[in-house]
Amino acid sequence: MNRRRKRQEAISAYLYLSPAMLIFLVFTIAPALFVLYISTFNWNFLNQSMSTFIGLQNYTHLLTSANFWHSLLITLYFVVGSVPIGVFGALLLAILLMKPFRGRGLLRLLFFIPYVTPIVATSIVWLWLFNPQFGLFNALLQLVHLPQIGWVQSERFAMPSVILYTLWHGIGFNVIIFMSGLTTIPSELGEAARMDGANAWQEFWHVTWPMLSPTTLFVVIINTVGALQAFTQFFTLTGGGPIDATTTTSFFLYQQAFVFYHTGYAAAMAVVLFAIIAVLTFVQLRLSRMRTFYQ
Amino acid sequence: MRGLPLFRCGGGSTVKGNFLNILRIFILVVVALLFVAPFYWVIVTSLNTQSQALQYPPIFLPHWHVANYVRAWSEAPWVQYFVNTVFIAFATTLLVLVTSLLAGFAFGAMEFPGKTILFGGFLAIMMVPQTVLLIPDYILMQNLNWLNTYWAQIVPWGASVFGIFMLRQFFLSFPVEYWEAAQIDGASRFRFLWQFGLPSARPALITIGLYIFIGSWNSFLWPYIMTSTPAVQPIEVGLATFLGTNGTDWVGLSAAVVYTTLPVLIIFLIAQRQFMEGAYSGSGGLKG
Repeated sequence: MNRRRKRQEAISAYLYLSPAMLIFLVFTIAPALFVLYISTFNWNFLNQSMSTFIGLQNYTHLLTSANFWHSLLITLYFVVGSVPIGVFGALLLAILLMKPFRGRGLLRLLFFIPYVTPIVATSIVWLWLFNPQFGLFNALLQLVHLPQIGWVQSERFAMPSVILYTLWHGIGFNVIIFMSGLTTIPSELGEAARMDGANAWQEFWHVTWPMLSPTTLFVVIINTVGALQAFTQFFTLTGGGPIDATTTTSFFLYQQAFVFYHTGYAAAMAVVLFAIIAVLTFVQLRLSRMRTFYQ
Repeated sequence: MRGLPLFRCGGGSTVKGNFLNILRIFILVVVALLFVAPFYWVIVTSLNTQSQALQYPPIFLPHWHVANYVRAWSEAPWVQYFVNTVFIAFATTLLVLVTSLLAGFAFGAMEFPGKTILFGGFLAIMMVPQTVLLIPDYILMQNLNWLNTYWAQIVPWGASVFGIFMLRQFFLSFPVEYWEAAQIDGASRFRFLWQFGLPSARPALITIGLYIFIGSWNSFLWPYIMTSTPAVQPIEVGLATFLGTNGTDWVGLSAAVVYTTLPVLIIFLIAQRQFMEGAYSGSGGLKG
């Protein structure tokens, strides 16, 4: 009787899981394997039956391509330029926001708003702000008699401009996460540290920072993975340019797959990108196991 | 009460403490104003004439030139874009809620072999980046004849790991006694879920629904790749097309940005508490 009941429960559980499982299977798991398959073909975009198996040629082609390595370098520039500022800037804002004051809820809301806005829409706003001839940023520089810059249209400043937009768009999410992490730290710990004569910095460094490390790790991973995949702001703000100054690997992949129809080659790139994201996440998790403090 | 301003002024009792507290609030206010400045600027631009917008020194106040809105509105099939976006977002949200409720209930309130492994597998799915799926899913859509349809924009996004996870957490803390009592009354498990689980899971469902709805509304790369005509395209793709054709009409573009973003902002402002707490639980969930 009991065994029959258990079996029935298992059957209905699998029934309940099946809609979600089916969707994941068809549109995520199978495609993740399918991309491996495509990457071994000289894939014909218009007529699939004309595709020819070429083994690992797409990969050798990729790894010897200067454009691909350049795109990795550009991606690294974007990650290194956006993630640390995004994480530490958000941490600073969160700490400043922790002690309650009148209007605190409103300020937190204002930091968070950009995060929920569509990237296409708000990057158009920034494209207008960045406009070298008529944009607000250069007008303000002119008002204070500083030299104007080309922003998204200059090879040198295109990436910093995209980073600036990305920070504006995403930092509010980090602030919210850090604030929730900070509220979970028992206040007695800080009080005890102060009783022992610790100053504000010592309290932060010896109590807050170690206690916060799981939150920090989460924010770092989410931001890194997000930065590796960022596409839309590059699409609207720079189109990967000028020349290839902002052609990240994700953008290069899009171009190769959907502008030049080098499907197999782009699929190989997708596999490499996937591997990079997986390894980075693994390394960050591993590092944290050595360094983070667990309650 | 999180999310509401608290009417208490913190800070030390000393003069130095007071000064530091004022400095802290001053810094926060300045940074917050910088964060909203782009929103203010796009509204000002959208309400000025082109020559006012291009003028130096810049004009910081709007002149209520609503003609930009009329012109921008007439230059693209915005009604069609809005209808598509709302339909896709609603259908996706509904599908996600159904699949998450069922799967979350199974993971949180039922026993079956392979549960732990399967749950780990579901979490691992979150690791697969969208960029990686773009090519194989495009070819899949090609073979399903789903390119340039609503289907391609709804069904692949019809299950959410975040949603399943949140509902699993909810049903884990659901008292077993309720189910036992329902069994004595002879209720089936499905009826129990429908009549009892669904209403009590409402707060979680609302949070998930809001995030999925806004996520669907804001999505760009996927619909941009999978569709080719305005008949099925969502608003952000329409806006990108509008940028391509009207790229120098900054006042018209600004107007289009304002009326396409307004619905998102309104939804967010009405439900800000759910959004903020959703972000909390999303992070709390992943850490556990």
